[in-house]
Formats: sequence, C-alpha cells, structure tokens
Amino acid sequence: MIPVSYNVRSLTVRRATTLATGLGIALVVFVLASSQMLARGIERTMGLSGSVDKVIVMRKGADAEMSSAIETRFVNLVLAGPGIKRGGDGQPLGVGEVQLVVALERADAPDDREAAQVSNVQLRGVPDNVMAVRPQVRITQGRPAKPGTDEVIIGRRIAGEFKGLALGQSFELKKNRRGQVVGIFEAGGSSFESEVWADIETVRSSFGREGIVSSITAQLEGATRFDAFKGAIESDKQLNVQVLRERDYFEKQSENTADLVRYLGIGIVFFFSIGAMIGAMITMYGAVSARQREIGTLRALGFSRTTILSSFLLEAILLATLGGAIGALASIGMGLVEVSMMNMQTWSEIVFSFEPSPPILIGAVVTGGVMGLVGGFLPALRAARTSPVDAMRA
Amino acid sequence: MSLARIAIKNVGRNRFRASLTVLGVMVAMVAFVLLRTILSAWTMGAEHAAQDRVATRHKVTFLMSLPKRYVQDISTADGVQAVTWCNWFGARLPDRDDVFFANIATDPESFLRVYDEIELPPAQREAWLQNRRGAIVGAQLARQMGWKAGDRVTLAGTIFPGDWEFTIEGVYSTKRRSIDQSTFWFHWDYLNDNADLPETMRDQVGWIVSKVDSAGRAAGIAKRIDGVFDSRDIQTLSMSERAMNTSFLGMLGALLQAVDVVSVVILVIMMLILGNTIAMSVRERTNEYGVLRAIGFRPPHIAGFVLGESAAIGLCGGVLGVLLARPMINQGVGRFMEENFTGLFPYFRLEDSDALLALGVAVVASALAGAIPAYNAGKLDVIDALRRVG
Repeated sequence: MIPVSYNVRSLTVRRATTLATGLGIALVVFVLASSQMLARGIERTMGLSGSVDKVIVMRKGADAEMSSAIETRFVNLVLAGPGIKRGGDGQPLGVGEVQLVVALERADAPDDREAAQVSNVQLRGVPDNVMAVRPQVRITQGRPAKPGTDEVIIGRRIAGEFKGLALGQSFELKKNRRGQVVGIFEAGGSSFESEVWADIETVRSSFGREGIVSSITAQLEGATRFDAFKGAIESDKQLNVQVLRERDYFEKQSENTADLVRYLGIGIVFFFSIGAMIGAMITMYGAVSARQREIGTLRALGFSRTTILSSFLLEAILLATLGGAIGALASIGMGLVEVSMMNMQTWSEIVFSFEPSPPILIGAVVTGGVMGLVGGFLPALRAARTSPVDAMRA
Repeated sequence: MSLARIAIKNVGRNRFRASLTVLGVMVAMVAFVLLRTILSAWTMGAEHAAQDRVATRHKVTFLMSLPKRYVQDISTADGVQAVTWCNWFGARLPDRDDVFFANIATDPESFLRVYDEIELPPAQREAWLQNRRGAIVGAQLARQMGWKAGDRVTLAGTIFPGDWEFTIEGVYSTKRRSIDQSTFWFHWDYLNDNADLPETMRDQVGWIVSKVDSAGRAAGIAKRIDGVFDSRDIQTLSMSERAMNTSFLGMLGALLQAVDVVSVVILVIMMLILGNTIAMSVRERTNEYGVLRAIGFRPPHIAGFVLGESAAIGLCGGVLGVLLARPMINQGVGRFMEENFTGLFPYFRLEDSDALLALGVAVVASALAGAIPAYNAGKLDVIDALRRVG
C-alpha cells in the first residue's frame, strides 16, 4: 500500500488545479443537492398538512378539494359514520370546509402593471370548531377571527407576500366586501401556512357557494378505524363520495410539482456531471504525467500495478469527495431560502423551503465521489501501465 | 509566424488534453443551449398566443362562473367581432386514471368563428354543428387515444356528475400554434340542458372569449369590458389571451429563475475546467515563456498567447456544442416537448439568436477563464522562468 498521505500531499502541491477541479465538482453536487432538497421540501410541506388518523371526504371523481362539492346536509351524515372521534362536548371532531382560490396581486408588483400580474392564493372557509380538528394551527400574531364576520386569519408564509395580506390590512372578497386580516397563524410548516382562512359563511355568501362544502375532514378514533369508516361511507350510494386518508390526499397533491423539480434537477445534473468528470480526468492525467518519474520509482521499488492504480484512483476520489463535501455544505445554506411556487395540482401559490436531509446530503457527496472514480479511472490506468525503465529515463 | 498562429498552434501541443477540454466545453455548451432553449421556449408560448382575442373571467377566482347573459353584453361592446364561451368540464375517462386531457364545453358555431385557426374538414364541421352530442378532438389527442371520427366515447363527470356520452364528429388541426391540438371540445347546450344539473349551475359560463378587430386595441377593449360589469353583482377580469398566458407563466417564475441561475452555474463549471487546462499548459511552458521574453517579447505578448489559446479552445468547444445541440433539440427533445407539452411549449426550437449567444458566451467565458493564467504568465520574471523546469 502506498500511504494515503502521499496522495494528500500531491493534491496540496498542485493547489490551484485541485481547487479548480474540486470547485467544479462542488457546483454539480450543489445543484444536485439543492434540487432534491426542494423536491423534499415540497413533499414535506404537503405531507405535514395531512395526518394518517384523519380522513378527507370529497365527491367521487374529484381529484382536489377545489373540484369537489358536497351538499351541506350530508355533512352530519358523514360525521356520524363509524370511527369518528368525538370531542369533549360529545360533538364529532370534523369540519366541512369550502375551498377556493382568489387572485391577488403580489406585494412586490408595481402599482401600474397590467392586471395580469396576479397569483392564485388558496382561501379556505372554515367553521368555528376548526381549531379542534386542526390542533397544529396556532395564532402567533393578532387574534383569532370572530365567527360570523368578514375577519380572516392568514398563514405565516404568505403574510406580506401579497397586497392586502398583512396584519391590519384587507383584500377584496367581492365588490364592496373586504376580508379584514386580524391574525397570522403557523401550522408546523404545512401547506396551510400558505392559505387564507375565513368564516365559512362569509366565503359561501361572497362566492355563491350556499349549501355546499368542498370537503369534509374528520378525526378518526385511531388510524386503524379507516377501513371501517371508508367502507360505511363509500357504500352509501346517496352520498356519492370518496374517502381518503388525509396524508395520502396531500401527498398526491404534491406529486407532480415535486417530480418536476426532482427530474429536472437530475436531468440537469447528468449533463453537468459529464463536464465535471472531464475536468477531473484532465486534472488526473496532468497529475500522472507530471509524476512519471515518481511512478517509475515506485514501480522499481516493487509496488505492483494494482497498488499504483488504486493509489491514483484514491487520489481522484479524495479530490472529488472533497469537492462534493464543499458543495453539499453550501447547499445546506439554501435551507434559509424560501421559494414561492405554483403547485400544479391546485393552481395556487404555495411557499416551499429547501429541506436538507442526511440521505440527500450523503447521496450528493457520494455522487461527487463517483464522479472522481469515473473521471480518474483512465488516468489511473495509464499510471499503472507505466514502465519503470522508461519512466525513470524520461 | 503571426502571434495568433502561435496561440493556436499551442493548442495542438498537447492534443489529448486539448481534445478533452474541447469535449468538456462542448458538453457544457450543450447543457447551456438546452437551458436557454427552455427559457426562450417558455416565453415564446406566450408570444404565439393570439393577441386579437380577449378572455374574460370571474374577477376573484377562475373557479367561479359568469352568468350566460354576460356573453350578450360583451358582444355589443365596441371593437368586438365575435364572442364565444366555454366551460371547463373536467371529466375523466372511466377506468383510465393515467390519461388526462382538457375537455371543454363551448358553443360550436361561435367557437369556430373566434378560433378561426382551427382546421376541420367541411363535412366534419357540418356533422359537429348538427349533433348536439358531438365532439371534436385535436389531432394530437386523437393520435394518442386512437380516436377517429365516428367513435363513441363516454366520459365520467367530476364537476358535473354522471356519465356523458359523446360521438367524435371530427379531428381538428390548427393553422397556427395559438391553440393546442389535444383538447376535447363539445356542445355547451348538451351540458346546460342536462336535467340533473343543479339550478345554480344552469346558464353559467366559465369564461368568455372575444375576437377583437385589432390586436393593438385588445388591452383597451379588455378594460372597457370590465367597466361594463363593474357595477354588476359579479365583476370580471379581462385580458388578452397573451396576457392570460403570461400570467400563468408568471406563477412558474421561481422555476424559470432557477433554470436561469443554473445556466450560469454550468458556465462557471466550464470556466473552471478550461482555466485549469490553461494553467497546466502555462506551468509546463514556463521555460519557453522565459525564452520568448529573453528574445524581446513583452509581457502583453505572452498574456496574449495564453488568452488566444484559451479563446481558441472555447470557440472550438462552442461551435461543436451548438452543432450537436441543434439536431438534438430540433429533432429529439424539441419534438418530444412540442408533442407532449403543447400547452406549455408550442414551439421548442433552438433559436438562431440563442445559438449565437451561446457562441459568444463560450468565447468570452473562455477568455475570462484564461485571464488569471495569462496574467501570471505575463508577469513572470525572465530569469526565474528560464531557471524553472517543467
């Protein structure tokens, strides 16, 4: 075995070259890790919105709350289904909600722009007992909205992002009717934090949704009661609804957007990594040819071809892993960045953040190492094939 | 021998390394060109949208409908030539969760007048107008599903519950790409006259499209239309079809920005590879540069050699990259994108301007990459350089 310190020293001797190659690999790893972190952020934001022991009921065939409608008179029927948990007052823990999107102007849009500069924001009409069903929601600023008024509370992540969505401000529900923002809530990082919550009657009367809810969400006594509830409700032909676990529903909502980001990222990284591998190859060929005499000496001293091959491979991997580690470390910094993006399933803006995770970071560094392995293989082979006599004569 | 020739000759000194570097630059340029094409194709979709059409929808949310009588009001507005209306139907093929296509209810007669780029054989056109349960489908969709005129199709409603039966009366293609070829259009009357439709959903239209007499007036007419409904129960939001498409793209702005940033990242990677190669060459030739200095060449000459060599490699890689990217995008990726994502990318082609931009960028970035090694080579001390070996 040739000691590893030999490789480390060789790398430090040609500092500039090592740095250039390492940085190239670092950039590739950075892009890879960031795109996977964003995809994970999207999935987690949506995944956090749902829990396994809650159910969501929508009209059969509807693939999102927005396209679903259930008559109000069915709400109590559904909540009377088997396995629904009851609160302290004996009432079932469940809510029928109306969901819509409203077009609002982004806060950073200049006033004189054409009306085209609007984005969709999700508006949820909620009944009074919503906080009992969604206990993860906490008011952090201001106060809760008074039931039966046009007061609304808004999620932490959209506060200040759109015109009128800030504490004490208001936005248009319909002509001459404005929703007054009285509170800001957080919801454990879930997608609810990108929503506006208003009283269900306010939403109904402003948007002509009388007698209708979009979906019914209810707390089960336990996650295992799901099948019993689903069976009982779905077999009722009069209801004509479908039952999903809340977690499954929200995860499905994020699938398309997360996949787009993930595969776009991988596709781009594929191209980039070819470039970085060529970079590593050039560097390693340079290293081998500059060290011809050393290699010859090593061979003459009795080190085998395999030893030389693995030594140079090791050097390449070391170089690439170093670069990869720098890239992965830098990508953690992206964790501070929040991006506002359209969720393609719901056509509305949701704010996501980059979520680092050990598998993503380790995976990215390993990918960097593999780039070194592939890029360094041919140069290492050339080193191993060096004839000691020729090399020492050179 | 001119100075430029020396610079170029130097490229060939270490053929193997030069080829590898050219290869690296080429790959980087292919990636760069591809990313730029995504960006320009994205905005191009909006540019190809018809500018002489104004779309009107519910002011607060596209989910809510407008009363049918608004169509009448708009048709009398000044500058409006023809008006049609549409409802998003949102039905799926039963038992085929994997396929999705837009299905929209419209008024066929006015629809064909407003969307005059739709091409439909006269016999099929007549058949569609006659059959209230008739539908026309885009050529793309027909190909994908294996549909032809005369086929019967049943759709399962989501927003409008129930099973809906249709006969495909025609397959349309388009003269321009301002409308996609993968939509299923059918009679609005068939939807509206359904006995099971709740009364609140009757005589409602999703959005209204008007053809205006000149593209230049579209913005003004849109404003006037909104003015008409300003004092009514339900207000409207009107904009040119182009503005509507742009606002959709705006929502994906974060993604576009990311693509933009990433296209710069690949340039940096390219510069690192190239700069590294040049630095290696300079190191190996230190001795020669010493000789050149000793026989009278000035530091700028030496720096020029290095920069020239760098730019030459960049140009080679850039040209090869663009040459490779062109067929790759125009025949491969582009065709796939145009066929499968017509809505987003009606045209996915490498624009000449992007190709030229890429070449320019390749040369400039290469010269920049060579700048540090060139500077270092230039300021070498003659004696030092002559003494140094390899």
